[in-house]
Amino acid sequence: MGTENPNHANNYSRPPQNNNSPFSSSRPVVGSQASAFRPTPVLSTPPSGPEVSTFRPTASYVPPTTGPFQRFSSPTPPPHTSPIGQPPAMRPPPTMRPQMPPMHMGSSPLSMNGAVNLQQSQPSLGPTNPSAVRAAPSSAWPGYTATPPAPVSHKGSYGPAPPQPAASGSFSSHQGGYGPAPPQQAASGSFSSHQGGYGPAPPLGMYVGGPTPPAGGMSGLVEDFSSLSIGSVPGSFDAGLDSKVLPRPLDGDVEPSSFAQMYPMNCNSRYLRLTTSAIPNSQSLVSRWHLPLGAVVCPLAEAPEGEEVPVVNFATTGIVRCRRCRTYVNPYVTFTDGGRKWRCNICALLNDVQNDYFAQLDATGRRIDLDQRPELTKGCVEFVAPAEYMVRPPMPPLYFFLIDVSINSVRSGMLEVIAQTIKSCLDKLPGSTRTQIGFITFDSTIHFYNMKSSLTQPQMMVVSDLDDIFVPLPDDLLVNLSESRSVVDAFLDSLPSMFQDNVNVESAFGPALKAAFMVMSQLGGKLLIFQSTLPSLGVGRLRLRGDDIRAYGTDKENALRIPEDPFYKQMAADFTKYQVAVNVYAVSDKYTDIASLGTLAKYTGGQVYYYPSFHAAIHKDKLKHELARDLTRETAWEAVMRIRCGKGVRFTSYHGNFMLRSTDLLALPAVDCDKAYAMQFALEETLLTTQIVYFQVALLHTSSCGERRIRVHTAAASVVADLGEMYRQADTGAIVSLLGRLAIEKSLSYKLEEARNAIQLRIVKALKEYRNLYAVQHRVGTRMIYPDSLKYLLLYALALCKSTALRGGYADSQLDERCAAGFTMMALPVKKMLKLLYPSLLRVDEYLVKSDDFEKLCRRLPLAAQSLDSRGIYIYDDGFRLVVWFGQMVSPDISRNLVGEDFAADFSRVSLVQRENEMSRKLMGIIKKLREADTSYYPLCHLVRQGEQPREGFFLLSNLVEEQVGGMNSYVDWILQIHRQVQQ
Amino acid sequence: MDHLLSHQHGSYRLYSLSGQIVCLSDLESDYMNPYESSSRINAVVIPEMVLHGMCSFLLLVMGYWFMFLLTLPIAIYNSMLYINRRHLIDVTEVFRYVDAEKRYRIAKLAVYLFLFVLVVIRSVVAGKFSDILEPFHPTNEDLDILSHVLEF
Repeated sequence: MGTENPNHANNYSRPPQNNNSPFSSSRPVVGSQASAFRPTPVLSTPPSGPEVSTFRPTASYVPPTTGPFQRFSSPTPPPHTSPIGQPPAMRPPPTMRPQMPPMHMGSSPLSMNGAVNLQQSQPSLGPTNPSAVRAAPSSAWPGYTATPPAPVSHKGSYGPAPPQPAASGSFSSHQGGYGPAPPQQAASGSFSSHQGGYGPAPPLGMYVGGPTPPAGGMSGLVEDFSSLSIGSVPGSFDAGLDSKVLPRPLDGDVEPSSFAQMYPMNCNSRYLRLTTSAIPNSQSLVSRWHLPLGAVVCPLAEAPEGEEVPVVNFATTGIVRCRRCRTYVNPYVTFTDGGRKWRCNICALLNDVQNDYFAQLDATGRRIDLDQRPELTKGCVEFVAPAEYMVRPPMPPLYFFLIDVSINSVRSGMLEVIAQTIKSCLDKLPGSTRTQIGFITFDSTIHFYNMKSSLTQPQMMVVSDLDDIFVPLPDDLLVNLSESRSVVDAFLDSLPSMFQDNVNVESAFGPALKAAFMVMSQLGGKLLIFQSTLPSLGVGRLRLRGDDIRAYGTDKENALRIPEDPFYKQMAADFTKYQVAVNVYAVSDKYTDIASLGTLAKYTGGQVYYYPSFHAAIHKDKLKHELARDLTRETAWEAVMRIRCGKGVRFTSYHGNFMLRSTDLLALPAVDCDKAYAMQFALEETLLTTQIVYFQVALLHTSSCGERRIRVHTAAASVVADLGEMYRQADTGAIVSLLGRLAIEKSLSYKLEEARNAIQLRIVKALKEYRNLYAVQHRVGTRMIYPDSLKYLLLYALALCKSTALRGGYADSQLDERCAAGFTMMALPVKKMLKLLYPSLLRVDEYLVKSDDFEKLCRRLPLAAQSLDSRGIYIYDDGFRLVVWFGQMVSPDISRNLVGEDFAADFSRVSLVQRENEMSRKLMGIIKKLREADTSYYPLCHLVRQGEQPREGFFLLSNLVEEQVGGMNSYVDWILQIHRQVQQ
Repeated sequence: MDHLLSHQHGSYRLYSLSGQIVCLSDLESDYMNPYESSSRINAVVIPEMVLHGMCSFLLLVMGYWFMFLLTLPIAIYNSMLYINRRHLIDVTEVFRYVDAEKRYRIAKLAVYLFLFVLVVIRSVVAGKFSDILEPFHPTNEDLDILSHVLEF
């Protein structure tokens, strides 16, 4: 990482004799312009073409017989039928015996043939395609027009190489005159043995191995890892040969299924994901794991229709909890003694069953009322909490708006948009008649509004003494929405016109924040801050500090990413103390110091929305949607969250937007479905004696309807003594989410480069450890091996290093954007995070022209320049932004149909609206579908034409994670680099 | 007299430091919330630093070079912390650094204790012990606390 050499992979460990090879002259010529976006060298391959390995499929897949799960092999009854008095250990029935995760079967032999054709056609394409030649000097993308026009055949070739019985013919035909075709059974395992025959060629070419082990030469010895063969290939071009078979998450996030299968009563993985569902049993095993050991929790994740969380009301019984460890009753507790006692699954204490919770046990030891007790059958329930769980009466939903009305927010149109949006959402605010609302506006003075229900128009009070803030009116600044509805409506109607001639450029943000705090501290609630300039007056004023280029690359660089003034941290702490959650909406075209403002959101469980160079005409829909979602989504108020786990395991650190109230208690003034929290745990004892570790997340909150509730998620995970099993059950999504949060936190106190190196180092260590596991047993040779469960880890880690929050240096992203991305990523749930890291790229022109099935024609493509064909139209979607990319050679008819008559104009001024033709309707349909797939953010649609710089580079090219961007490696180089480090 | 001063300063610093350590352990074991403990600790950080600085200065003007040089590193470290604005406990991240802060304070406590003992020994050696014990010295029968204590 961090290498400046664009041709890195070619140089790597290349011995001099290789220069004698007939192909050295055809190394890709890297021009000064071209270096940044150099396509993978496959485009300039010599006529031999890359090789595709021809592993035979493993006919039968025998799960490894070694490993910790042997003890489950004796048939034991499932838990609910376990006899009385059995220890709380859950024993999965033998059918739940963990299988190897199914290998990726995305591609078929047929599509593999497609890949072969593709490669064979390249030699003729390269030199003969005039557009490629022409494009090379002028465009930054030499040869991205050289992609063969067969988008459908792309697909097969991008998955991991499939089992491919029919490929032997093409294999030998590839060989050309470069030597005899190796025997078919000489698969990668025995590859090194015939390597000698091809002379001293170094291990450079990327030779492709499938995720399945070779069975040919070494029958009986089954490998339970995936591998990429990186070895010398005769007649191949030297480095990074075939990027097509590298693993790519083109199906999106696939959760590991073994976890849910083994413990069917676990809560759904959308609520809790462990980085590995095999918990190590000893410290020494933990120290060999190297990846983060922890969990990502999204306590209020949106459940699909029909899977709503059941609400349990114990009424008079009181909530059933363990006396000692305070664990809530859950499916894994066992009832004994005829139903009079229950044993806590976490601390093994025998508790008495209260009289009104008593139920007989049947012959198998199950409670007879089991089917009426969701808390005993489901891993995810919500208890209604009695008065013991309240320190004060449940608070009403409260929304307070702190709005900047200085010239910037008026000019950009923000004020008008938010006034309209708030007004349209008033009916949909949660909490019906209890909801409270209030407003403060500020420029160089602070304006309070009396909204008393008896008034017809709001009264405005101006406080200009910024040093000694006082609240001019004790009540009536915060009013009940349903009572004062007409006043609020009148206020929102008049708000834009009230300040339309405001020419004040100052911003007394700090004092206004203090005023809002004074008003809200009685009740708590949600504070929405709309800020359009840098705070310039009173306490908490900030200075322009992001422009100082000298700080970058030095040890002081990280200071730009932390709040400048301790005022912000102190205010954030005070807000949390009084149950106020802060959401920051920053709209500015200049530096606004998101690092400082965002701190308010970070420690209060809020969120940062950043709209760089906001203009109402362009960003209106985005702000509208996101504000509306913020106001109307289901929110849990004045919440605290704790995660409990079995003896011997302890949660040590927490990462996300919240404040720690005590060592293990997260204070969350407001939580909603779009927030996730990550945590890491460690073993307290050197050896775990239990066989299962239970985790229980409990979120105590006030729901919008005014009920105090406890959301409880319970999950079990087995303890293993085998490192291989840990890797096998790893969850890439959770690992990437945790790694990302750790790296972002690290970037607050160290240089960006160190944060990126930390990610790389952990991955290298982990893969090295994994390699050592198998290096002796199997002849791994020069192959790169990794567990199938982590096959996307490398790509996601690369994407993480290229994400807005961590990429490059000073010039690669604006300081504010970087900070805002950091705050956002700290709160993102796993799926959303993975989408952001590896966005989807769809080719849509074929679907637009032919009326055919969307699913069939629009498939996700690898995020590489090769995927872009100048004859196509593509949609790039990372969940936050949609980019519609028009190739240069798209027919004008299509363009005219889609964007109207100004299709030839500058696309930055063209917006996509639905037009009266089939094609436009289809395109808008796709966009609508993509937006509806995830409503937490509103991806704004940008149109980009190929070659239209700098917009193309900004919106699309810099986000193609598999390309070499801004000094970062391409995917192939990255794998080679990691591989080299692993082998050292 | 100077010894008496530094002696009293020393005992104040020892007292305030041990108070801070107690606060931190209370925080760790959840007997105190982060707001309270950090405000309590932060309230005494500056006085402690100022006192230390005064002590060092006094030792310097009184000409106790050796003692001054011993206290100098801490004074420099303190001022460095102050300049970098890292002297106060950050309430939002207190749990992340609670271990480190505790270790730092225990180390500081050990250094202060060492300085304190050194001051006492030096005053004994210099024959000025009577200065320190002046309040307890039985020059005045009415104020003789020690003898009263010993009588019962």
